[in-house]
Amino acid sequence: MSGRTPLITNTKCECGHQNPVGTVLCEACGKPLDETGNSSENLEMRYDGVARRSQRSNPNVIDLVWNFFSSVKIAIYLIVLTLLGSMLGTIFPQESTFLNIDASTYYKEQYGTAGHIYYKLGLSHTYESWWFVLLLVMIGASLVICSLDRVLPLYKALTRQKIRKHRQFLTRQKVVLVTEMGEEPEEWVGRISQPLKKRGYRVITEGGALLAEKHRFSRWGPYVIHIGLIIFLLAVLARGLPGLNMDQHLAFPQGEVTPIPDTTFYLKNEKFTVEFYTEAEMPEEFRGKKVLPKLYETKAVLYECIADCGDPTRTPQLKEVAAHDIQVNSPLSYNGLKAYQFDYDLTPVLRSVQPELKNKVTGEAYGKFKLEMKNPQRSFEAGPYTLTLKEKYMDFGLNESGQPVSKTPYPNAPAFLFLIKGPGLPADGQQYFYFPKQVDKVQFQQEGINDKLGGADRFLELEVSSMQDVDFSESTAYLNVRVDRAMPFVWIGAGIVMLGLVLGFYWQHRRIWLTVQNGELILGGHTNKNWFGFRREIVSILEKVDMVVDEKSLDNGGGQA
Amino acid sequence: MGKARKPVQIVILLLVVLLGGYAIATSVFGGDGKPKEGSKAPAFELLGLDGKAHTLDEYKGKAVVLNFWGSWCAPCVKEMPALQAQWEKWKDQGVVVVGVNVGEDQMTVENFVKMVNINFPIVMDPGRDAVRSYGISPMPTTFFINKKGKVDSIHIGQLDLDTLDSQIGKLVGP
Repeated sequence: MSGRTPLITNTKCECGHQNPVGTVLCEACGKPLDETGNSSENLEMRYDGVARRSQRSNPNVIDLVWNFFSSVKIAIYLIVLTLLGSMLGTIFPQESTFLNIDASTYYKEQYGTAGHIYYKLGLSHTYESWWFVLLLVMIGASLVICSLDRVLPLYKALTRQKIRKHRQFLTRQKVVLVTEMGEEPEEWVGRISQPLKKRGYRVITEGGALLAEKHRFSRWGPYVIHIGLIIFLLAVLARGLPGLNMDQHLAFPQGEVTPIPDTTFYLKNEKFTVEFYTEAEMPEEFRGKKVLPKLYETKAVLYECIADCGDPTRTPQLKEVAAHDIQVNSPLSYNGLKAYQFDYDLTPVLRSVQPELKNKVTGEAYGKFKLEMKNPQRSFEAGPYTLTLKEKYMDFGLNESGQPVSKTPYPNAPAFLFLIKGPGLPADGQQYFYFPKQVDKVQFQQEGINDKLGGADRFLELEVSSMQDVDFSESTAYLNVRVDRAMPFVWIGAGIVMLGLVLGFYWQHRRIWLTVQNGELILGGHTNKNWFGFRREIVSILEKVDMVVDEKSLDNGGGQA
Repeated sequence: MGKARKPVQIVILLLVVLLGGYAIATSVFGGDGKPKEGSKAPAFELLGLDGKAHTLDEYKGKAVVLNFWGSWCAPCVKEMPALQAQWEKWKDQGVVVVGVNVGEDQMTVENFVKMVNINFPIVMDPGRDAVRSYGISPMPTTFFINKKGKVDSIHIGQLDLDTLDSQIGKLVGP
């Protein structure tokens, strides 16, 4: 845009004011500077005809970079490119929408070659890719620089307005009235001030010249929008900082206090409930065909660690800080941390059993003890007998060489090897294999193993007498735990944008200049929109000073909107 | 106004470069947050079998072979003798082998250590914190961390004596 400015220009106006390079209308009197002929076209009133800050006669490198970002054309290209880039990201689901996939194979399997190319191009994480972030950064830079480049000169121009304007400035506005005037200039100007003020105009007079202006603040609307957008962008950028954003999907087995990684919080799932609609509650066409969930609910208690946190040698001390029955769209919320219902698993997990040591010959019971699956006690007393836990297998199985091993770390088929000492047993004790689950007892032949270990005359047996002695975690609730501390700033930014939009949309900056001299009234008017309303307002103001003007005659062309 | 213009321009452009550079750098290098070859090895604080808390920092100045294992993972069990042999070979030359047990309780770990007869330091990660920060998915996974605390290489799967020897040699060598 600065290309239009010739290399050497005489920027001094005939009124004596020295204007900066790039000025369209003289800063003082408003005379058009860029042309010599007596053109009668409408004036370019953008930024009141002042030069933007970046317009210079011989720009250096910094100026060139500055000019690049200050161009509205560039800003529009950037926005269009960003929109196109965003569209690319919507062709296939983004990686971030999946929890557990191997992206390098997933896209190929799911979407074929197109998916593979999509992944290879890095479009499976479009919004985190360097070029997308670069575009956003450039839009941010453009917002700041465009605004600064225009708002400061505009502010200067609007605060230093001269009242008496060049005749050409007035007659080339979009609203113009030139008519004969018999009255004394100052008296008439004084008369018209009253109805103008009544209409909310601020009026300044200087002899036979007058400037009436209202709702200038509406001009700042776009810049307020820009400030809001910048806050918005910075907030989004700040989400990358540690601690400001977290989004995890975690499993919470019922009844266990489970730590939430990267926080000092622990969450306990006290009870998870899932309810389904009964056949009677469902519409006819679904009956027998669908299973529809009615309720997912996790009764959750949130704890905060207050001491001994993060020290693996100690047990953290917890304090309850919040409790909530988490349902879909009703998360537990505490200090910016939110836990949403996400998934569930109804597979029961064995937590502990309380077997009883019995004499299978006499039926005598020696006592119960609690055997935890995780971190069990190592020795137990039952009557006169001492049981020492020697080995423990969470998911019992045999390896290739026939040795007992745990196949997984999960208590699917727990097995325990005890060494029992006491009356009637060999001095170095008797080994005893114990499978808490009945299915495992049968499958792995507990009897047979123990007969081998203790001989046929062994008389001790571990038994669970009732289900009350078995502790299960009935189900596992999966919760989505989120922290988004940048979110308030995103809202503030969006709020400021809204404010800017309201400022710019619901008010118009209206100005009326007029001079009365040599028996002639010259009136020029400018508004940034709603020219129709503006002309009606001028007509009704002129009526108040007994001057009848046809609304259409004010139209100097161009002011249709 | 005219004189203040240039510094203002420079300050704003610098801010744009700084913030923009940060944003782009985190999107390029931050990635999924998992350590890669050449990146800093994440810190951890875990309970050792000796009952004390151990951190990566205490091995500063030493080359660290960080092995993630579980007693239920067959290849982990198989590579234990190789790790033990290399630990004995290199321990006097500023190399420490650290085994990180994943998600098992103390008893299981103690029994396992006795069974396979190893004596290099073992720490336990019941909450899978280190697993998360190191981005471990299959096991065993072994991180070779140099004396500056940077990840030199990552080996996924069972290690044999020779690979282990040459990898450690690389860590210690000039």
